[in-house]
Amino acid sequence: MHYQNRLVIGAVVIVIHFLLPAAALSAEGRVLTGTDDDAQLPFWEWRNEAMSLRLVQRLPDQTRAFFMARGFSKEHAEIIAQSCIFQTVYKNVSTAARPSVIEYDLRQWKVLYKGKALPLKTKEVWQVEWEKANAAQAVQIAFLWSLIPTQQRYQPQDYNWGMTSYNLPPGEKFDLQLVWQQDGERRTATIQDIECAPDIHPDPENPFG
Amino acid sequence: MLPTFILILRIHLVNMAYYFIRWIVFWLLLIVASAVYADKSQPLHTVAGTPRAPEFSLKDINGKLFRLADYKGKVVIVNFWTTWCPPCRFELPSMERAYQLFKKQDIEILAINVGEDVDTIFTFTVDYPVSFPLLMDLDSKVINDYPVIGLPTTYVIDTEGRLVYRAIGTREWDDSRLVEKILELKK
Repeated sequence: MHYQNRLVIGAVVIVIHFLLPAAALSAEGRVLTGTDDDAQLPFWEWRNEAMSLRLVQRLPDQTRAFFMARGFSKEHAEIIAQSCIFQTVYKNVSTAARPSVIEYDLRQWKVLYKGKALPLKTKEVWQVEWEKANAAQAVQIAFLWSLIPTQQRYQPQDYNWGMTSYNLPPGEKFDLQLVWQQDGERRTATIQDIECAPDIHPDPENPFG
Repeated sequence: MLPTFILILRIHLVNMAYYFIRWIVFWLLLIVASAVYADKSQPLHTVAGTPRAPEFSLKDINGKLFRLADYKGKVVIVNFWTTWCPPCRFELPSMERAYQLFKKQDIEILAINVGEDVDTIFTFTVDYPVSFPLLMDLDSKVINDYPVIGLPTTYVIDTEGRLVYRAIGTREWDDSRLVEKILELKK
């Protein structure tokens, strides 16, 4: 084959490689699952051309350690650890070329569990509990800023990284119904079969075995 | 005569088709390249109404007091962060590189840690050394005065003390387009 023809065919392949995934994303969105590279734990991600939401399991032991290091008592850290916590990265992935505005309110989301539609446990709900429990101010500050904001408005490339809590026992499965506004238009999606991390205690010699 | 004409016409059409395909491929590649370039942009978003930046006075980890009012007439970048917030950590090295550029231009960076003590921050700086001031908002009063609802959030304050730009999440602060946008505030 003439080298110029090869060049053209190669260029077409490159273009298809870039354009097809973009075209697929611009449709209704899709769910990705797998193992998060950093955490080495399962993740569930919903993404379309403008928004991505990634939930990464947090082991109850990780959560206990994190909050006890921030001054929580063992008893209070245990309450959080047993509440099905996910590391959450919520991002506006739109670009300057095709900008979108994403707005959400976690109070509109539903945890679909055993035939019931339950609310997420937001930072406002937790705050009432910590105040009743007379948790120290520094502890409350650390906790509240470690959770994803209850409401947020993201412009292109804005994102938050924090925890979300689903108030279910370790190891339970649920579906999550998402609600958000994309450029003022209400959107919904459901991520199915999300699994709260089991309450296991990894062997320090073989943490992933 | 006719077969020769058809042959020439055929060669001509094949050449035209070939050049047409090349033209299409060139523009498609250009579009893809633009999209990839745009993906890597580091946007700073304009703050609606450009309100006045709330005043604050906070101590740094060495006990030195910093007042926002002392920076009147300067462009100031105010970053809210914590040591345990991964995206906050990601952007500190680029913020340090930007600080090395900005300090020659009399532009300041103040990084306000939310709710952590001196020891925690000091230990953290062993792995993340920075030369701009690390201020301590121990009771989270300052962050609550600012329109911040997630970490990290960064505001750029203009020479008249107004909040002009905002970034939620990590940015590459030494990105040339972002640096240019901040330098323009001095003009």
